[in-house]
Amino acid sequence: MASIRELTSLRETLAAERRSKRGTIILCGDTGCEASGSHLLADAIRKELAERGLEDSVELRVTGCHGFCEVGPVMVVEPGNIFYCHVSANDAGEIVSATIERGQVVERLLYADPVSGKRVIKEEHVPFYRAQDRVLLGRNKLVSPSSIEDYIAEGGYSSLAKVLEEMTPEQVIGETKASGLRGRGGGGFPTGRKWESCRAAEGEPKYVICNADEGDPGAYMDRSLLEGNPHAVLEGMLIGAYAIGARHGYVYVRNEYPMALESAKVAVVQAEDLGLLGDNILGSGFSFDVKIARGAGAFVCGESTALMASLEGKVGEPRPKDVHTVEEGLRNKPSTLNNVETWANVPLIIEKGSAWFAEKGTEKSKGTKIFALTGRVKNTGLVEVEMGTPLRTLIYDIGGGAADGVGVKAVQTGGPSGGCLPTSKFDLPVDFETLAEAGSMVGSGGMVVMDERTCMVDVAKYFLNFLLDESCGKCFPCRVGIDRMLEIVTDITEGRGSPEQIALLEDLAETVSETSLCALGKTAANPVISTLRYFRDEYEAHINDKRCPAGVCRELIEYWIDEEKCTGCGACLRACPHRAISGEKEGPHTIDAATCVKCGICHDECQFDAVVIR
Amino acid sequence: MEEYVHITLDGAKVPVPKGTTVLDAALSYGICIPHLCHVPYLTPIGVCRLCIVELIENGRAKVTTSCTLDAKEGMVIRTNSEKIRNLRRKLAELLVAEAPNSRAVQDLAARCGVTEVRYPFRNHDCVLCGRCVRVCEEVWQARALGFVGRGKARRVEFPFGVKPDFCKECNTCIDLCPMTITPCPGPMKTGEEYLCAQCASQVSMAENMPDTCVLCDLGQGFQCARQTGQV
Amino acid sequence: MLELTEAADRYGRSQVVEVLQDLQEKNGYISREAIQAASDRLGAPLIEVYRVAHFYKAFSLAPRGRHLITVCTGTACHVRGAPRLLDEVKGQLGVEAGGTTDDGAFTLEGVNCLGACALGPVVVLDGIYHHHMTPNKLRELIRSVRDADGKRGEGG
Repeated sequence: MASIRELTSLRETLAAERRSKRGTIILCGDTGCEASGSHLLADAIRKELAERGLEDSVELRVTGCHGFCEVGPVMVVEPGNIFYCHVSANDAGEIVSATIERGQVVERLLYADPVSGKRVIKEEHVPFYRAQDRVLLGRNKLVSPSSIEDYIAEGGYSSLAKVLEEMTPEQVIGETKASGLRGRGGGGFPTGRKWESCRAAEGEPKYVICNADEGDPGAYMDRSLLEGNPHAVLEGMLIGAYAIGARHGYVYVRNEYPMALESAKVAVVQAEDLGLLGDNILGSGFSFDVKIARGAGAFVCGESTALMASLEGKVGEPRPKDVHTVEEGLRNKPSTLNNVETWANVPLIIEKGSAWFAEKGTEKSKGTKIFALTGRVKNTGLVEVEMGTPLRTLIYDIGGGAADGVGVKAVQTGGPSGGCLPTSKFDLPVDFETLAEAGSMVGSGGMVVMDERTCMVDVAKYFLNFLLDESCGKCFPCRVGIDRMLEIVTDITEGRGSPEQIALLEDLAETVSETSLCALGKTAANPVISTLRYFRDEYEAHINDKRCPAGVCRELIEYWIDEEKCTGCGACLRACPHRAISGEKEGPHTIDAATCVKCGICHDECQFDAVVIR
Repeated sequence: MEEYVHITLDGAKVPVPKGTTVLDAALSYGICIPHLCHVPYLTPIGVCRLCIVELIENGRAKVTTSCTLDAKEGMVIRTNSEKIRNLRRKLAELLVAEAPNSRAVQDLAARCGVTEVRYPFRNHDCVLCGRCVRVCEEVWQARALGFVGRGKARRVEFPFGVKPDFCKECNTCIDLCPMTITPCPGPMKTGEEYLCAQCASQVSMAENMPDTCVLCDLGQGFQCARQTGQV
Repeated sequence: MLELTEAADRYGRSQVVEVLQDLQEKNGYISREAIQAASDRLGAPLIEVYRVAHFYKAFSLAPRGRHLITVCTGTACHVRGAPRLLDEVKGQLGVEAGGTTDDGAFTLEGVNCLGACALGPVVVLDGIYHHHMTPNKLRELIRSVRDADGKRGEGG
C-alpha cells in the first residue's frame, strides 16, 4: 500500500466482509488451550462447518490467549458473546447445529458460577472477567495472530495512519507523556520522558527495541500479547520510532518462546508485504524496519544493557548506567527499549487519547496492567486490571481464592526482583509506589499465590538459587553476595541456622542492594528481605526449633507411615523413585529413613492419609 | 588547550580535565579511594565495586563506582561518607573471605577497615578482577584468555582450557595479578585462614587516616605512602 | 563440515549468537570444531566465541541424549511440585539436571520458565509439552519412550 487512503479502503473492505458473516466461532489456540486439545477441536469445527455448507458464512477464528487458562479450551461464539469452556472436539457438532444454526445455547458448556452454581451465558458476565478491564488482552479474541487482515479490519494501523498524517513527533511524545504511561517491564519509567530524552540525544541511527525476554519465572503476559496480537506491538514500535526519529527496530524474544518468535516473524513479513514496514511507509516519507532476534537462555538479558550486548553478538553482561541507554545504547547509539506491554498500549493511547488512558488507575500509576495469576489459586490465568485494584480483588474475586481449600498465606509479585506479601496486606492497591513501599513491586506482572503448604524460607532459597544461576557474575557483590546469602539460607533450611545469621543476612542484603552494578543484583535481596519482614516467625522456627512449619524443608521433616491407617495397598512402594519403602501386600509398609530423600511423592499417592510428615 | 570541568570532591571544588573519571580525578588530588580492578592504563570495568562514591543529584545520593563515572561539570561527589565507608568495609570483608591468601587482598581489607570476618573462609585463587584479561586484550592484543561462564561458575580461562599458541608469553597477566602477592611467611593452609594484618603500615594507616588523605599513592600499588617516604 | 548460515556471511561478528544457535539446532550441541570454525568465519576472536558458547544456557557443549527431558522450574511450577518431578527422573534414570544417562538415551534439563504457568508443572519431552505433570505421569511417559525405543531397536 502506498498511501493512507489505500489502507483505509482496505480496512473498509475487510470490515465489511467481517460484518457479512452470519456468525463467528472464536477459539483460543494458545499454548494452554492447545495442550488441552483446542487444535483438534478447531479441526472438528472446520469439518462440521464444511459438512453443513457453512464454511463461507461462518468464520472460525483461532486466536491467542483469552486469559482464563484454567477452564480451557475456551470459546466465544458471536453473535451473543456466548462463552463456552472445557470444550472438546466431540462438542463440535452440537455447537454448530445448536448455537450457530439455531441460536441455542449448549447448557453443559457454559461456565458455572462456583458459588451459586448458576450457568453464565455471556463472556462479559463471567465472574473471572467481570472485575477486569481487558483493554489489551480483550483484543486477542478479535484477531487471528497470523492474519494482518484481521488486525486491519479491527482498526489496526489506524493509529499509525493518524500519527503520520496529523501529528508531529513532538505531539506524539506529548500525548504519551500526558497519558502517564510507565514502563510495563518492571522499571516503571515514564515512557513519554524516555522517548523525549532519546529524541533529544545526539547520534545516528537511533534504535527502538522491544524487550520480549520476559525472564521472570511465572510471568507469561508478554508471550500472550506477542503471540496473540503481534501487530499491536509492531504498530506501537512504529509510532515510537516516528516520535524518536529511529529508523531501525529489534524485537528480542527469549529462546524459550518458539511460538512467539514465529508469530513475530510472520507479522513482520506481513507488514513488510503491505508496505507498513520498510521505506516510505504509506507514502509518508517515514522509513522503519524491524528485525527479530532470539535470546539464548539468559535471564540477565532482560536487563536493557545486557539485552543490547546480546544483540551485538556478545555475552549478556550489563554495563553501568551512569550514561543512559537513550543516549548511548545499542552500538553506543541512542536507543529506546520498552517492554512488549508498553508498546501494545501505544496505539490505543493514540486512538482514544491520553485522557482516556489517564482516567484509569491511580494518580501516579495510570492505565491497566496485565498480571499472570498463578500458583495455589483456583482460577489461574492472565488477568488485566486497572492500576490501583486491590490485591484481594485479584486473588479472590478474579482468582477464586485458594485452590484445594488450603488457606492462602502470601502472594509473590514482581518475580525474583520482587517480594512476598502476607494476607494482611491484601487490601493494598496494585500500583508502582504502593507495592514498592510494602517491600515488593509490580515488576513485569508475575503474581504467584502461595498457601500454607509453601515454606517462605524455601521461597527465599528458591529465588536466591535462581538469581545466582542467572547472575552474569561480573560484579563482586552480586556474584559473591547472593552466594553468601544462599549459603546462610541453606544453612537455615537444613537445620544449621543460628540467630546471628539473620543480622548477617540483613547486612548482606544492604551491601548487595546498594553496590551491585545492575538491577539484577540491586533487587536480588528483595525476596529475602520481604520474607524476613513478614514471615520472620518461619525463619525463627527453622533456626530455634529446627522445624519447618509448612513441612517442606527436607532436612527438617520426616516421612513416616502410620501403621493403623496403612492398608498395605502398596501404592507408595510402587511410586517411590528411590526405593525407600518396603512391605508385604496387605501388611503395613515402612519407610527406610536412611534412603528416604523426603521428596513427598508417597504422601501424594496415599489415598488413606497414612503417610505422615513430622 | 585542554578543556576542564569543575567538580566538587568532598566539599572541595576542583578543576578536572574533561574525560577524566572521578576515580582518576580523586587520585590525582590525593584522595585515595581504595580500588582493586582499576589499573591506570586499562579500561575500567567497575567489577570490584570498592571505589564506590556517592553522587549527589537533585538532593539524592546515588552510590556508583567512581572508575566508570566520567567527571561532568557541576558534579558533587562524596568519597568517604559513613555510608560509603560501611559499604566498602563490608565488600572488603566479603572479598577477604573469598580469597584471604593474598597480601594485596589482606592489605586492602585492612585499609578498608575490616577487623573481623563473619563468613566462613573460602580459599579461591582468583578474585575475577579482570586485570589479566584486560591487559591481554588491550595492551598485548593477544586475547589469549578471557572470562568464561556465568555467575558462580565464572572463571578466567584459555580457550578450551589450553594456552593458545598466540599467547605472547609476556607474563604481564602474572605481574598484575593481586593473588600472586602472598603474605609472609607463606600461603595459608586450608581451614586455617585468618586475617593476619601483618602489614603494619596499612593497619596504622587505617587507624590514623584523616577524613581526606592528601598524599596517598594507593593507585600506584599496594605500598603505604609512609613506607615510600612521601609523608 | 560445518553449515554456517547466510547470516554468518553477511553480518560477521554481531551474529555470533545467531550462528551458534543454528549450529546448536542442527547438531544438537556445539563442538570444539564448531567454535573454532565460527571464530575463523566470523572474524571474531576465539575467546569471544568460546565465551558466548559458555554463557548462554541454550548452548550445550557436550552431545545430548537422544531424548531431551526439560522440566520447568519456574516459580509457579515450583510451588506446584516441580522438585518432585526432578526426584522422579533421578529415581528412574539416575540423572540430575544437566546430566545424560550412561546409555545416551536421556538428557535431563531444568528451565527457568516456559511461560505456560497455568498448566504447571510442565515437562517438555522431545519438543512436546506435557502439562499438569505428576511423578506418576512422568514415570509412564519415560516408560513409553523407552518402550518405543526398544521396538525401534535403539538401546536403553
